[in-house]
Parts: sequence; structure tokens; C-alpha cells
Amino acid sequence: MKPKVNIVVMVDAVGALSDRTLHQGNLALVDDSPYGSRNPGTPELVTTVLPGQVVQWTAIHVDVQTPVEIHQITFLGPGEPEHAPPVTRPDPGYAAVPAYAAASGVLLAEPETASQTAAPPSALASNGLENHDLLVWEGIVPFTMAPGVPYRYRLSIKIHEGPNSLLHVDTPALLRV
Amino acid sequence: MPPKPSGALRPVTITAVVDPVAALASGDLDENLYLYDTNRTAGSSGFGTPELRTRVRKGDRLLWNVIPLECETFVALSGIEIDRRVADPVREFYPGTDIAFWTATVKRELVKPVTYRLSFLLGGVAEPFTVAAEQALVGPVKEAR
Amino acid sequence: MAQQHGIIVLIDVDNALQERTLDGNAYWFDNMKFLGSTGEGTGGLVTIVPGAYFLDGSQATEQVLNWLPASLGAVPPTVPRNYLAEQALQTDRDALAHLAAVGAGDEAEVGRIKEEVGVRAKQSRSAKGIPTAKILDATGHVAGSDAADTYNYPTPVITDITGPAVEQKIMYPAQYGSPDMIYDGWYWAATVDTSRPGIYSYTMHIQLHELVEREDGLVWQPVDLTCTSALEVMTDPKRNAFTGAGLGVLPLPEFPPVP
Repeated sequence: MKPKVNIVVMVDAVGALSDRTLHQGNLALVDDSPYGSRNPGTPELVTTVLPGQVVQWTAIHVDVQTPVEIHQITFLGPGEPEHAPPVTRPDPGYAAVPAYAAASGVLLAEPETASQTAAPPSALASNGLENHDLLVWEGIVPFTMAPGVPYRYRLSIKIHEGPNSLLHVDTPALLRV
Repeated sequence: MPPKPSGALRPVTITAVVDPVAALASGDLDENLYLYDTNRTAGSSGFGTPELRTRVRKGDRLLWNVIPLECETFVALSGIEIDRRVADPVREFYPGTDIAFWTATVKRELVKPVTYRLSFLLGGVAEPFTVAAEQALVGPVKEAR
Repeated sequence: MAQQHGIIVLIDVDNALQERTLDGNAYWFDNMKFLGSTGEGTGGLVTIVPGAYFLDGSQATEQVLNWLPASLGAVPPTVPRNYLAEQALQTDRDALAHLAAVGAGDEAEVGRIKEEVGVRAKQSRSAKGIPTAKILDATGHVAGSDAADTYNYPTPVITDITGPAVEQKIMYPAQYGSPDMIYDGWYWAATVDTSRPGIYSYTMHIQLHELVEREDGLVWQPVDLTCTSALEVMTDPKRNAFTGAGLGVLPLPEFPPVP
């Protein structure tokens, strides 16, 4: 068994900031899993994994001088309608302006309020400013992971800083073969 | 004030240094805009801020251009809002390129500062961003009696 | 992966040549204000270098610095470097075509073509980095007979980087690229050893070029000047983003989402 699976997160920072979405070609996800991942090069990547493997996500800058970091990875849980696949939202992946699901009135766009997770990890550097390059996004696939079912996650990206800097997609997933 | 040795042939260049990624992410252009001109010794002020005050004389040619902090990122000066009786900027392109600059001639001697505003296109956003602060052209210093 | 850091040095060449100093005539920028750089747009930039180390103490990221010099009042660095050479070639081609069409004895027309072709300048031996021998003005057009007054300042050339940051082996600068000044030119980059936090100054050696009119024609003369800047090096431990500490299990939900 290959001990580690790498998922590479490639963001066109200027495209994403201009379009205010990670879709429309501004985000490509690629992995090196040997078990046949689906939808490589898109935000809908489904990475095939085995329990016991380490999965690591790394952000690569398409333009080497633009600052792109992974802000948060949150696995979406069962039976929570606000985390259903993005069906008809006008701006999928756009996190800066709150969007409300028509039926439930639940806030869609704030990863920090997702019931699934704790607060984002501290990226605080010694000078008091945040440096997301300090975070290593890796973890071990648990043996309790059910096979054959995609475990979708919300991937939240931070480009530079400020009100328009956070964008996310809810479409990628891990799949245990 | 005696003319500079290079004469009035060389235009007064006003350069806008912009960080387009920071401006798009923060939504604040002014915070990420640094203006300079080539007339520091003639009395221009406000260097490195959006409130540049450029010292000019009647007949001076002005040239505005842009330098992005991320060299691969698109930034362009899309408009200059100024009293057309003082200067009427037109957009030109460096020959053979699609990179723009703006030129104008100062039509009269300025007794009071004349304010103007720059607008920029940043990245792939279709709508221009206009600077909140005002830039200005100022006339010659009055000679002491 | 950490980003590379771009540092732009904008030089007021006209005043620097008149005053023979870069003090007050150089404006420094990087794109890391949000990570802690200070003094953006002034002569007092301090560039933050935010390093990281793994729990075993080894350096985790390679921080790379790239310098881009630019002239205030000249054609901006976004205009491709091969542009000046292509402009020179194009005007030569145009002039040859016009000459072929001109009738014999048409002195006025030949004179006009001479203006179109522009003037060339010689390069003195110690001058580095003149992109083309033909002179352009600040709008990118070929300069005519008033070239000595209107010439576009060539991009300043960095000839060396010295000072405490280099002597103390905090940064390792080197030139990269091809020696073909027309198309790519040399550019300076450095890797930084982030294991020793602190503020370290460095001296940039810059060569400007002045167009001087001599009896035998126009000549580019080099003018060597220096200016200083600084790095603030820091380093912090890498930490696991899921656990806040070391490697752990992925926080998958107990039951997967409904398909």
C-alpha cells in the first residue's frame, strides 16, 4: 500500500478574486492515488484512499508570487440539508457574502458555523500576523471509514487577506475502495 | 523657476504602483496604491500615497502609467477624471502592444490646485475601481517679493 | 508551499543622475505587507521572510526573493523586454521600405526617413545591460534628433548584492537568466536561511545609464550607485492543521453524507 496520497490544490488567484468563485476554471485538484480517482483537474475530484494511508493537501501557486493558502478543510456530515451538493445556488463556492437557502433560512457560506468542525486551527506566527503556510494539512484515513461512499468535504481557500479573500467549494471527496 | 536641463521636451511622468491582488482581496484600492512622479525636485509631494500633488507648468506634457506589484497580473489605467479645460488626457498604447498609457498637455498656468481622479481595471474584473482619494496638479510656487 | 517574494525597486533615474545618489530617489516595494513587511513604497522597506520549521528543527520551506528594478518615467517593466529590440528592428524595416520607394534627389524625404530611423548610441565598455543601440523615448517610439533630451531610461541593472545579510549567510543571492540583455537579461534572486531570526540589512549595487553627447556621437555612460534595504527573518513551527499539533486521524464524520 502506498503510504501517502498527495492532493495538490492549484488556484488561479487573480481569476478567483476577479470572478469571486473557485469554479469556472479557477481551481484544479489533482492527486497521486494509484486507485483511480475521479474528475482530476476539477473541484469535483474524488480521491480514492485506503484506511491507514496519510492524505496530505498542498496548495500550489499557479502564479508563483500570489499568496494562496488552504484556510479550512471540513468534512460534510450526513442529513444536514445546508451541506447538500450545490444545486442551484447562483454563486457556488463564493464565501464572502452570506447566502441563505430559500427553504431553511440557514446560513450557507460561513465555514466556521458548520456544525461539523471546531474552529479553524491557529495560523498565528510569532509576529502576531497569520501565516497559513505554517499549517500542514495531513491526516490518517480512519479504519471506520465506510467503503464505496464519497465523503465530501468543504475546501476553503484564502487568497491574500480581507473581506473578499475567502472562497470555498463543497464538491471534492474522499472515497474508500 | 529655471527650466530643468533636459528642457520641456521630456514629459512629466506620473506612475501608479498598484498591488492588484491585495486590492481585490481587501476591496480597498487606496490602501494598495502608491503614486509617484518625476517632478520631485520641482516641488511635487504626496509620493507613495494616493494623494499625489504634481507640480506642473503650462505647456508641460503629462504621461500616466502603471506598474503592478505582481508582474504577471493585469492592471490598467481605465480613466482620468479631470477638468478638460486644464488637461484632456487621451489613452495611447506602447507601439505594438496592448499596454496603455495616458498623455495630456497642461493647457494653462495653475493658480490653484486642480484635483483629478484615476480609475483602474484590476485582474479580470470588468468594472473599473476608482480611487477614493483625490490626486492634484499644482501650479508653480509664487516667487517671494 | 511558500510563495516566492517579489521586490520591486523603482528608481527616479533623472534625479538620481542629477544628484548622483539613490538616497531619496529609490522606492522599494514587496507584496508581503500582509505578512509583516513595513515601509512599502519608501526607501526604508523591511521585507518580512516568514520561515517555518518542522518539529525536528529542519527548515520546512524555501523562501525565495526576486528583485525587479524599474525606472520612474520610463516604459514600465510590464512591456516585454524584447519589445525595445523589436521596435528597433521594425523601424529599420519600415525605413528600408520607405527608402526603396523614394525617388533620387528627394532630400526632404530622405531627411524624414532619417528621423524615422532614429539614432543609435555606442555603449562604453563598462556599461552593462543596454537593451538596444537604438534610442527610444518614454512613449516607446523611436527618438528622433532630440534623443539626448527625450530618451527612455534603460532599466537600472543590479550588479551585486552585499552587506550583513550576505556576509552572515542569511541570504544567498545569485544572478539567473541569459546574458542576452535584449530578450531575457540577468535577474537577481536569493534563497534565505530562515533558521536565525533577526533584522539584516543588505546593499544593492545598481548601475544606471546616462546618454552623453560627445564629439563622436551619443554614448551610454554607466553610473554606479548603491542603496540599502533589509530583511526581517522569522521562523515558526509547522503544525498539523487538523490537530493543532502532530499527525492524527482525519476528522471524518461517523456516518458519511447522504449521496
